[in-house]
Amino acid sequence: MKTVIKTTDLSKVYNGGAAEVHALKNVSLEFKQGEFTAIVGPSGSGKTTFLNVIGGLDKPTDGHIYIDGVDLATMKESKLFDFRLRHIGFVFQAYNLIPVLTAIENVSFIMLLQKKSKEEMERRAKEMLEQVGLAEKLYVRPSQLSGGQQQRVAVARALASKPDFVLADEPTANLDTQSAFNLLDIMARLNKEENVTMIFSTHDQRVIDRARRVIKLVDGAVDNDEQFDR
Amino acid sequence: MITVIKIAWRNIWRNRKRSIIIIMAIVFGLIGGVFSASIRLGAENQRFRESVENQISHIQIHHDQFIANPEARYRIPDGFKLTDELRQHPDIKIVSPRTVFDGMIATANLNAGVRIKGIDPEIESKTTYLEDLIVEGTYFTEEGRLPSVIVGRNLAEDLRSGVGSRIVLTFQDVEGEIVSASFRIEGLYVVTSKRFEERNVFVNASDLNGLITDDEAVTEIAIVLNDPDKYRIVANELREKYTGLEIRHWADIDPSLFYALEFLERNLVFLVGIIILGVSFGLLNTILMSVLERVRELGVLMAVGMKKAMVFAMVVLETTMLSLIGGGLGLTLSFGLVEYLNRRGVNLEGFGGEGLEEYGFASIVYPELEPAFYFNLGILVIAFAIIASVYPAWKAIRLVPAEAVRQE
Repeated sequence: MKTVIKTTDLSKVYNGGAAEVHALKNVSLEFKQGEFTAIVGPSGSGKTTFLNVIGGLDKPTDGHIYIDGVDLATMKESKLFDFRLRHIGFVFQAYNLIPVLTAIENVSFIMLLQKKSKEEMERRAKEMLEQVGLAEKLYVRPSQLSGGQQQRVAVARALASKPDFVLADEPTANLDTQSAFNLLDIMARLNKEENVTMIFSTHDQRVIDRARRVIKLVDGAVDNDEQFDR
Repeated sequence: MITVIKIAWRNIWRNRKRSIIIIMAIVFGLIGGVFSASIRLGAENQRFRESVENQISHIQIHHDQFIANPEARYRIPDGFKLTDELRQHPDIKIVSPRTVFDGMIATANLNAGVRIKGIDPEIESKTTYLEDLIVEGTYFTEEGRLPSVIVGRNLAEDLRSGVGSRIVLTFQDVEGEIVSASFRIEGLYVVTSKRFEERNVFVNASDLNGLITDDEAVTEIAIVLNDPDKYRIVANELREKYTGLEIRHWADIDPSLFYALEFLERNLVFLVGIIILGVSFGLLNTILMSVLERVRELGVLMAVGMKKAMVFAMVVLETTMLSLIGGGLGLTLSFGLVEYLNRRGVNLEGFGGEGLEEYGFASIVYPELEPAFYFNLGILVIAFAIIASVYPAWKAIRLVPAEAVRQE
């Protein structure tokens, strides 16, 4: 299997007031194509920082992140915008759809920034919204969708542009059990069908139970890294 | 870019109430500013028309001693010959030779100092439209026993006389001898400036010339130009040609009017601009609030790869769109209001308008504005909006996506 992300000795130190906070300590990990991984750990263990750093939203204090052979740690900010746009899909805890755009416009948005053709965009956006079970809600704005539906649109948006991997920060935290299961079913299916690497940060046992790899962070360091055959 | 425009457009309607409030602020700011500007310009232009067209004319020529001593002995040499020469000038429309000097007007009991203007009634009616200003009596049509005089209505009231009354004019002839002659008031004229009415009486120049014992006397030549804007050029040309004569254009004669008009012409847009500037701070506040309310969303846009330049452009566009709507609406309504009031007139009586007449301003003002004014104002509104949007837009792109997306 092809390696999608490789980190070596990743460290992140925040200078918050008097004390330095070591959010990540020498994290060296590899993620292969098609993995479905949960990053777990108590609050403050560095899950979100890890996702931000490998997602190019934050710079590590030390270490490297190789994606496609390119090191994000040394990339200029202006290049990072473009890199994120072309290689990474994001799903956020609070859905974070653009409220003034309809479901299909939200899903098309990243492809639009990528300057895909209109036909391709529309075809792919419709396909993705069908995949997440929202074929009936193409022209509806987020405010008219339930939390679960909004998060499914967010997943469709993240995957529509065919990124190398998808980062999901606590994607089920705001969802009820049924919506969470629905979402996880969809994500697991898309993970297989699209063969896209998915990395979640979560405390949610429901997510952990579905993951094929679970990495536990404690105080910013890898405490445990287990594979499951599911 | 089309997407950015679309998002910006939809964003401004997210908080409908707030957007409408700021649009209304722009609309009313513009209407208020344009209205006051149009009143000022209208009043000044009316004053210009009254002062220059009804009184001064574009250029006046005198003997170089006449201004200091407005007496019959300071005549323009060969005045009628000069008049004929001036009539050949391609830029000159009308030349009115006059016999003008200071004197006294008296009734049996009352008297007053006046400027006596001997005119050719026919030419004068085309020069200063004196005939059109007559409100009582007639304009040099009577062939009575006494020569006719036209006086201001205000002066007639002061002298407790009226049309048909006999008055006596006293003045010096060409030799400096005192001459008195009786005249009959044939007509009363009215102009805005009460002072002008009290100070100026008109008689037939031929009557006057007989009395001062010089049939060829001309002490003042008033000139009306085909193109009023050429007054400086023509005056300079005449100065070069006729040295020894005092040649003055209307701006020399009434500098306060000239400076008032000049000031308005240059600064009217900026006077309204101050109002727009104030409104722009409101606009800045509105956009800043909307940016601060959308921190998470803006963070997401940048996290997924929307470039900062596009985010910046989006915020600027939102501001510009608000100002375009407000500006378009405000300018259209202002234009309509000014056009309507221009036909109807605005009565300033009761707002101190009566006092204005002392200074040559009419109490009924017809507001007016040049089309270019609206255009310049429109540009100003958009320019201020763009400037006002810079700070909020800068705030937006300074957000750190990783932090912004997690903001509650």
